[in-house]
Amino acid sequence: MATPAARLPASAALQRRGAGGGLARALGPDYRLGYLFVAPIVVLVLALVAYPFGYAIYLSLTRKYVGVPPVWVGFDNYVKLTWDGFFQRAVVNSFVFTFGSVAVKLALGMAMALVLTARIRFRSFWTGVLLIPWVAPTVVSALNFLWIYDYSLGVLNYLLVKVLRVLPQGVGWLSEPGTAMASVIAVNVWRGFPFFGISFLAGMKAIPAEMYEAAAVDGATALQRFRHVTLPALQNIIIIVVLLSTIWTFNDFTIIYILTKGGPGGATQVLPVLTYEIAFGAQRLGEAIAVALYMLPAMAVVIIVLARHMRRGRAR
Amino acid sequence: MSPRVLGRAQGPVAYAILTALLLVVVFPFYWMFVSSLKSEEQMRTLTAMFWPSPAVLDNYRQLLGKTDFGAWYGNSIVVALSSTFVATAIGTLGAYALARLKFFGRAFMASATLITYLVPPSILFIPLYAQIRNLGLADSLTGLIAAYPSFTVPFVTWLLMGYFESIPEELEEAAMIDGATRFGAFRRIILPLATPGVLAAALFAFTQAWNEFLYALVFITNVKLRTLPVGLSTFITGDVYGWGFLMAGAVLTTLPVIAAYTYLQKYMVEGLTAGSVKG
Repeated sequence: MATPAARLPASAALQRRGAGGGLARALGPDYRLGYLFVAPIVVLVLALVAYPFGYAIYLSLTRKYVGVPPVWVGFDNYVKLTWDGFFQRAVVNSFVFTFGSVAVKLALGMAMALVLTARIRFRSFWTGVLLIPWVAPTVVSALNFLWIYDYSLGVLNYLLVKVLRVLPQGVGWLSEPGTAMASVIAVNVWRGFPFFGISFLAGMKAIPAEMYEAAAVDGATALQRFRHVTLPALQNIIIIVVLLSTIWTFNDFTIIYILTKGGPGGATQVLPVLTYEIAFGAQRLGEAIAVALYMLPAMAVVIIVLARHMRRGRAR
Repeated sequence: MSPRVLGRAQGPVAYAILTALLLVVVFPFYWMFVSSLKSEEQMRTLTAMFWPSPAVLDNYRQLLGKTDFGAWYGNSIVVALSSTFVATAIGTLGAYALARLKFFGRAFMASATLITYLVPPSILFIPLYAQIRNLGLADSLTGLIAAYPSFTVPFVTWLLMGYFESIPEELEEAAMIDGATRFGAFRRIILPLATPGVLAAALFAFTQAWNEFLYALVFITNVKLRTLPVGLSTFITGDVYGWGFLMAGAVLTTLPVIAAYTYLQKYMVEGLTAGSVKG
């Protein structure tokens, strides 16, 4: 620690970092420690994400069964899928599931954030309680709802038929095509809306109180304050949270796998579950990966736009 | 706090909405807990629907005594703790470098890390499985411990980059003027200040690993080596066990996460809002 630099003026001591010779000039003053610290991440990302990702693209262009070497078939898998009715239905279902879930999560998350910025008692305690679905294991929540939705013994039918008497008889929430999709969306919403809420809450807390006071002095109604003060200030957070959730929901495997496995009759079949079933049920790996990658161009656009917003959000 | 959007009408309206949200959030957990304490008999006859009468521990006893639940619990703890440790160590160092140090390629690596965090497991699980199998790690906890950093490390890194960026750079500069090396400044000045952030990141990594389902479902075939989420999910297909039994497993699986979260809620909320989303 006690180097002569301690006695040097500030500027000289800081310049010392830049005095690493030609390499430091080319690679930046902190290149040694920098590369040392990021090396594990680089290795990890290459081995666990980049390589498998590249291999996935290659496999999707082959006919590959478990235990047999892949055979190159070009875009055959993709072309076949394009005209496959079951796949088309899974694509539509994936979009319905994603947009339905995200829209409701947005609304509920906003309600949660507004309530938690209002003058209520024990605010931080309620915030914590409302966040629990988001930290609880997804499998547990899905199993819990499987039990709640149960036709003969489930509490939902009991509540609606015996307690509230709004239905003459129970509904097979997950076994009837008319209600299955809404039922799985409800579970995804239940699990995901707290993330929207807590993110919006953080954004709202950063809005200066004077802006609301000024709006109130100008005679703005609650709705006008929301539209002209809250929403514009939250714009970036809303974009980030909606896009993040879109990616997560589009790729949500657990909830649908546990609740319906894509049933009844494919009514809730979505791409991640279809991928799993083709891969480990039918053992057709090439085709399975093509299912997973089919929407990649669209997803890549979302990911890049999102990454940009997230980096901009950080840079301020 | 100022009267925000809801204004003068906020009291009753806010409490009404809050109550509705709390009911929706809390009731499933209450139901899970109550169900786990009901006897098979009570479950079948629909008596005293909303509370156990009498409350029995049969389900828990059966779960711990007659199934591999205990072994799965151990597996989950091993896998979650190991991958948390790996992710936190690698992520903390990497995040510091990406947030603070000046070297060629930094911006590109920061973007790459973020994009990696956003690549969904549903795309990666098949090729990753192939790779784990090629390494001879299929059907082993080591395979899961090796695979989980694919999502925990990018997340921890991204979260902590935000945290390090929020610590004033002058603190390190002052230390370095006093003769500290870059590494010394990091270890003595920055790391202690970042402890709440690191703790939050570690907790999130633990939660993610503890809750993970898809990789564990695909990579593990040996019944004894299952993790809790996968083990629990196999109870539904068995048809041997009742719902109360399944809910007892659900309660015990949720417990560690909720306990950690309750204890460290402040850090988690802070870390989440400071790190993952900042507008």
